[in-house]
Amino acid sequence: MRPVLIALVFSCALSAQSLQRAQALWNAHDYEGANTELMALIAAHPENAEYHFQRGKLFEERFDAEFAAKLYQEALEINPKHAGAMLGMARIAAENFDPKAKEFAKQAADADPKLYEAHELLARIALEDDNHKTANEEADAALAISANAVQAIAIKASLDLLSDKESPWVAKLGSNGKGYETIAYFFVINRRYEDGIAYYRKAIAATPDLWSAHSQLGINLMRLAREGEARQELELAFNNHYRDKPTVNTLTLMDSYNRFKTFETPTTAIKLNKKEADVLYPYFQTELDKIIATYNKKYETKLTVPVQIEVYPDHEDFAVRTMGMPGLGALGVTFNNIIAMDSPSGRAPGSFHWASTLWHEMSHVYVLTLTNDRVPRWFTEGLAVHEETAINADWGDRMIPDVLAAIRDKKLLPVAEIDRGFIHPAFPAQVIVSYYEAGKMCDYISQRWGEKKLLDMVHAFAKNVPTVDVIRQQLGIEPEAFDKDFLAVIDKETASTVKGFKDWTEGIRAINQFMKDGKFDEAIAKGRAIEGLYPDYVENGSVYDFVAEACLKKNDKPCAIEELGRYSKIGGRDPETMKKYAKLLEEAGKPKEAAAALERLNYIYPLDAELHHSLGGLLLQTGDAAGAVREYQALVDMHPIDAADSHYNLARAFKATGQKDKAREEAVLALEAAPNFKPAQKLLLEVSGDGEK
Amino acid sequence: MGCRLKRFALLAGLINVLIAAGTPAFASTYFLTVAGLGGEPDYEQRFTMLATDVDKILKSGGQTDRVVDTLKGADATKAKMEASLNRIAGQAKPADAFVLLMIGHGTFDGTEYKFNLPGPDISGTELAALLNRIPAGRQLVVDMTSASGGAAAVLKKENRTVITATKSGMEKNATVFGRYWVEAMRDPAADVDKNDAISALEAFTYAEKKTADFYKEQKRLATEHPQLDDQQRASAFPFLKTGAAAATVTDPAKRALISKKDDIENRIDALKYQKSLMAPDEYKKQLTALLLDLARTQEGIDK
Repeated sequence: MRPVLIALVFSCALSAQSLQRAQALWNAHDYEGANTELMALIAAHPENAEYHFQRGKLFEERFDAEFAAKLYQEALEINPKHAGAMLGMARIAAENFDPKAKEFAKQAADADPKLYEAHELLARIALEDDNHKTANEEADAALAISANAVQAIAIKASLDLLSDKESPWVAKLGSNGKGYETIAYFFVINRRYEDGIAYYRKAIAATPDLWSAHSQLGINLMRLAREGEARQELELAFNNHYRDKPTVNTLTLMDSYNRFKTFETPTTAIKLNKKEADVLYPYFQTELDKIIATYNKKYETKLTVPVQIEVYPDHEDFAVRTMGMPGLGALGVTFNNIIAMDSPSGRAPGSFHWASTLWHEMSHVYVLTLTNDRVPRWFTEGLAVHEETAINADWGDRMIPDVLAAIRDKKLLPVAEIDRGFIHPAFPAQVIVSYYEAGKMCDYISQRWGEKKLLDMVHAFAKNVPTVDVIRQQLGIEPEAFDKDFLAVIDKETASTVKGFKDWTEGIRAINQFMKDGKFDEAIAKGRAIEGLYPDYVENGSVYDFVAEACLKKNDKPCAIEELGRYSKIGGRDPETMKKYAKLLEEAGKPKEAAAALERLNYIYPLDAELHHSLGGLLLQTGDAAGAVREYQALVDMHPIDAADSHYNLARAFKATGQKDKAREEAVLALEAAPNFKPAQKLLLEVSGDGEK
Repeated sequence: MGCRLKRFALLAGLINVLIAAGTPAFASTYFLTVAGLGGEPDYEQRFTMLATDVDKILKSGGQTDRVVDTLKGADATKAKMEASLNRIAGQAKPADAFVLLMIGHGTFDGTEYKFNLPGPDISGTELAALLNRIPAGRQLVVDMTSASGGAAAVLKKENRTVITATKSGMEKNATVFGRYWVEAMRDPAADVDKNDAISALEAFTYAEKKTADFYKEQKRLATEHPQLDDQQRASAFPFLKTGAAAATVTDPAKRALISKKDDIENRIDALKYQKSLMAPDEYKKQLTALLLDLARTQEGIDK
């Protein structure tokens, strides 16, 4: 027994030394060395949960959350009560706004009643949900265990500061930068970027080597387009081994800015990728000017600083702008007066309505300005969604099956809790469902209390009044009663679709089979019978698609036109389908209607040479020469294969507007590409005076 | 690159004129289109449809200088392809042109390319041997199959332009290049210099751009990168001519004007070469004057 005991003691002492060595290497930024030590410890003691846990912590700190979670899981398999590993799992889930975080943190607190960090994390999750009561309680629970629990103190301070109150808790943070960093984080996720930046600066002042704060300061400065200082902070973090994805990707994105071109007016700045800038700019500028004119009137205010729009053709670049932010839109994001959004080229044609997104984001700019960033997420998102369809009924998102399922399963949240749906979704589609619900709530308020009431609510939120009180004060109704009335309206609106959804899906299958069997009359009849059950469904394989195709198979063009007209009116966006519709209208001798159908596509996918060619022709034919100039100019800017033809058409359009000099220039450009292009020769002679002899 | 292409095109224009002038009026172009094995109904239908479209385009327009042969479906066997190529080898003259269009699937094992046909496939080496027997002085092979890049080296020959849908034999996915090549044959936009003829370079440029756009719009990684072995030769190959230009050139009453027109065209070409060396305004002034002169001359010819 004695030699065995000596060997065991010796082994334990060696292991402790190795763990210390790993920790020393880790502190010295030799992460590979630390990992090697920990791996050796695990190899020697595979059943020691602590070593798996420590390695998990190393990987978590080095930004590999996925692998860290695996190592924590290994620790928990060995010791299911390992509170540290549970807390690690909770932290990782919380980083992703995963609702499981709460569960893990509670398990960790139960496993180790002294683990105040678990209560700090629960407080953080609650405050992310805007649940001040629980956040306060959990912070108190942490402080009861450790009076110096920095994160709990920071949560208490954040609770006060977010409510615009002086906080005695701030002073208690002393020189602990991590605490100020947490306050900054809460300002940022509440869209109060300037306040967030101020607190990141405090964090750095207190703890100069807090590189995570340097990184976040850089990212938030960059969000507000203060690129010089942003780069300095990000590079400082990067050069000091803080290389998480947001830091690295933001630096990479900033490096790519030389590929962008900025167009400025006194009130706007539009930043576009050079490869598509010339084509997109006229459309974006026209729409932006229209939005500003409309919102200045509607929101009864004028923006005091220019609004900046950044348009990213690579969705990954856009995604960098939203990293680490909960519940933000996948297509656009607003940081005070800065909007970052996908370019139409960043998405598959037909899947993205850029103009609708721009109206949405611009609504945020006005609402954030009017409320000094004090507005709950549900309201600013709801109002932005409301604006999309207010400007044009066929804009905005259609009701997707996930929303229908949420309505059917009674998963819509009460107004007092709807923010939770944006931050910590309890089911995969809850963020989308919450956008829908918030939008519908604003529609409902507008319908019942008038559009002006929405602006009154904006002003009420500006005073930092909670949602429930705004509902009471502005709508004169209890939040519960609001929910009841609102849900009754939604149920009524969607009843036939919810009830008929099964029949609709079965009907689609039947139509599909009819089409395969060549039974086009039956397909049309079935399509027309089920179309009304779910009119919002305009994606691939919609009833409209099938019926129009069946009509065309029968060579019944009026039937196809009628069907595609319905598709267009309800918000169908597939460019090929819309082009087909326009062609049929043109063939039917309806060039104005054909042009209108194609005009819709300019708001969806304007990077389409065929679209501009066809639309230019139709506009010229129907006497809209200025519109034709716009379309043919877009075509020229796309550098199509047939350069001669595009310049020639632009020359024709200029001639029609009476701009002979420009017509002549374009005719010359057409002939430079193809000197024997006879129509262009004729036009050149005409605009040079020869043809008018 | 854009500049280089333009210069190729300009030079090609001159070469084209020379070739046209030196080519006997009775010279013919032999076309053989082969739609290979689809392997599944969807591809079978697609390949057959493309070959049918090509056949229809080539046989339309009343062109008498084309000899068109198309193999598709069950007829597209190795034996029939060999027979067609042998027949052309027996009929074509050095003054003639020959075009082979291959639609379908191809494979490459690291050494040998094979064009998939019902029954035995035909290898790149076998195909090259058959093509080498054809005396036509100008040849164009457009291999639109997957892995077609694997055939480029073996098919290469001094008087032959080789176009492949893929850059190597390792790009093995089904291609879309063929669809756009056929579209180029139909779309007047492919004739970028508006000379009533689509050159092999024009058709290639059209199909290559459309192929790239296809992958870009679909947000898919491009699995084919079309290749052309000689741009200059391709630009001088009038792959698909229309009749209008020829009718004008043969009108003796307008000889003086035609001669003047040729002179102006040459001066325009020469001016374009000088563009990068000239002040923009001066270039524009001179170009406009020449183009006006050309337009007036053309007007006189057309009267």
